[in-house]
Amino acid sequence: MSMIEFHDVQKFYGHFHALHDINLKIDQGETVVLIGPSGSGKSTLVRTVNGLESIQKGQLIVNNHDLSDPKTDLNILRRDVGMVFQHFNLYKNKDVLENIMLAPRIVSHMPEKENKEQAMHLLEMVGLEKWAHNMPSQISGGQKQRVAIARTLAMRPKLILYDEPTSALDPEMIDDVLQVIKKVTTDSGMTSLIVTHEMGFAKEVANRVIFMDQGRIVEDDASESFFKRPKTERAQQFLSKIISH
Amino acid sequence: MINIFSHFSSQLLVGLGWTVLSSVIALFFSLIIGTIFAIMEIVPNKVLRTIGRAYVEIFRNIPLLVITMFFYLVIPMYVVKINGFTAGTIGLSLYTSAFIAETVRSGIQSVAGGQMEGARSTGMTYWQAMRYIILPQAFKIVIPPLGNQFVNLVKNSSVLAFVAGFDLMYQANSIASTTFDTINSYLVVGVLYLIITLPLSYYMQHLEKKLA
Amino acid sequence: MKKRFWLVSLLASLLLLTGCGRSLSDQSVLDNVKRTNTISWGVKGDVKLFGLIDVKDGQPKGFDVDMAKAITRHILGPTGKAEFTTTTSQSRVPLLKNGNVDAVIATMSITPEREKVISFSKSYFDAGQSLLVPKNSSIHSVKDLNGKTVIGVVGANSVANIKKVAPKARVIELQDYAQAMNALKSHQGDALTTDNGILFGLAVQNPGYQVRGGTFTVEPYGVAVNKGQTGFTKAVDKAVLEMQHDGEYNRLIKKWFGNVPGFKYKELYRK
Repeated sequence: MSMIEFHDVQKFYGHFHALHDINLKIDQGETVVLIGPSGSGKSTLVRTVNGLESIQKGQLIVNNHDLSDPKTDLNILRRDVGMVFQHFNLYKNKDVLENIMLAPRIVSHMPEKENKEQAMHLLEMVGLEKWAHNMPSQISGGQKQRVAIARTLAMRPKLILYDEPTSALDPEMIDDVLQVIKKVTTDSGMTSLIVTHEMGFAKEVANRVIFMDQGRIVEDDASESFFKRPKTERAQQFLSKIISH
Repeated sequence: MINIFSHFSSQLLVGLGWTVLSSVIALFFSLIIGTIFAIMEIVPNKVLRTIGRAYVEIFRNIPLLVITMFFYLVIPMYVVKINGFTAGTIGLSLYTSAFIAETVRSGIQSVAGGQMEGARSTGMTYWQAMRYIILPQAFKIVIPPLGNQFVNLVKNSSVLAFVAGFDLMYQANSIASTTFDTINSYLVVGVLYLIITLPLSYYMQHLEKKLA
Repeated sequence: MKKRFWLVSLLASLLLLTGCGRSLSDQSVLDNVKRTNTISWGVKGDVKLFGLIDVKDGQPKGFDVDMAKAITRHILGPTGKAEFTTTTSQSRVPLLKNGNVDAVIATMSITPEREKVISFSKSYFDAGQSLLVPKNSSIHSVKDLNGKTVIGVVGANSVANIKKVAPKARVIELQDYAQAMNALKSHQGDALTTDNGILFGLAVQNPGYQVRGGTFTVEPYGVAVNKGQTGFTKAVDKAVLEMQHDGEYNRLIKKWFGNVPGFKYKELYRK
């Protein structure tokens, strides 16, 4: 069963054509990594999936909701589609525990006791149970991102979107976060769509790699064969540059 | 100055009382009205946004005296009789609310963005995100500029003098014109305004530090 | 700490200010105006019949203005110039004391309180305080004012007079006659009180309102100058007397008040 379907999707910012003829199908349980040079449209594509960006043409169906239909209730869609941001976007006015518990309480109306148990359990999983009562401003970037992942998991989503989750982190923090993402994607059978520049990590977790350039999907292949032999010259160039770094 | 105060102390205290009362009422209503219109200015709904924008632009760009005169002279002629104090306080509330709306709006917009996307992507509605995430942070940010608005409000309450609202400025005019001691009359009243505005300024600074 | 120092020194300097600015009365206004061949007059700008700015040329017109021009001519001769600054009941004394104008001729009654701070010429016009009410009003005289709201103008002695004749009336003071008239129209008060001459002017501009109850005070209008300027007041008195003798005074009375309905202008004639 498919989780995400793009049919001839076009996205414009004014006159700028940000996404060209996107056709893409992602099945439930897949872990898909999106790579490409900056400005290639990866983030834009990911953000259309939960409706943070609107599309101008084509059809986009996510978890059986049609995002091209203006009557679709995005709030309902988003309960099942989590998102992890480059800059974490933790609620600055809430402590770590509240960041995790707020949405289950006011969106899913989860009983308080169950909600708290779940939140503590998730904090343990990301290794931050000691920080439950700290404010976001008191923890490091890597810790913030792990809290953000726990916050997303608390809604028990079917699909998680990761928009460059380690790009804003100091190098020594990156590994911890990647370990958590890896655990989440392999343990759960959840669908994941990950925008990243971490090629080693991409190789490790992805079933499938999508390479984008200038708003188009240039290559879409199984992870193993993509990293061994990219078919297009553009992808070859990109990989050689990244790896020689 | 001391002479003026001791001779006219009861008249001045009455003025002080009306000034404080008008300021407190206007502060309360302008904060509520201002916040409502600040939110209206940024909601996704275009009609509400236009109404919010229009309200702010109208009341921010018309002199307070004109708004007050409208309520003092025009409304009683066609709608309902309101006295000078009420007219002045309504004018003051509406005028100040437009500035508070602008202040709160910019506060909301400086918080929104990432915080809004973070909240919305967990399935919260726009209003839930506003209530739980955006507004609490926005109010913290706008405390210093709001403090300025409140001090301005107290000073602007002198508009009551023009519609016989019995406030400090009204008493100053009256005392100055009976004693002809213009300088001292206005000096006394200036000091009385300071007695209201200085503690207010210090309180807002204290609040800012406490919440920071 | 620093902040507090500034505050204290600011207040201290404000207090010092109050002690200054008393040198103007030392100079003779009469000598000054003769040297410059110009008298600078404070007049009303919003009072019909006495001093009202004409929207066509921006100049004040009225009985006070014509009197000022005639007095100037009598004191300085035919080449003498009269300059006009419009004042309100509230601003006329400060403007005079600060030296912005040489003399004030602006519907100003001679009262003992005012004579403590400024000097007056002899009366050049005898007004009396009265009431302006809507034509359908139940107020017929000052006796009907108790419990009612009476509108006056800041700086006019009419407010104090009302408190004497109708102690239970509520009095509100507005900034000038135009605003007071607007407030009366907006039912912010039941009657407008000031001198009859001014009220008749308002009644001319606002049909539907009339002057009622006769005069209940005597308000002799005088030309005001700074205290101690007796040379100037004597010159004014002499000029007014000359105008009365040669009939110019009565011509001005007739010019301005001859057509006002209900106003017995001939009672104001002087010989």
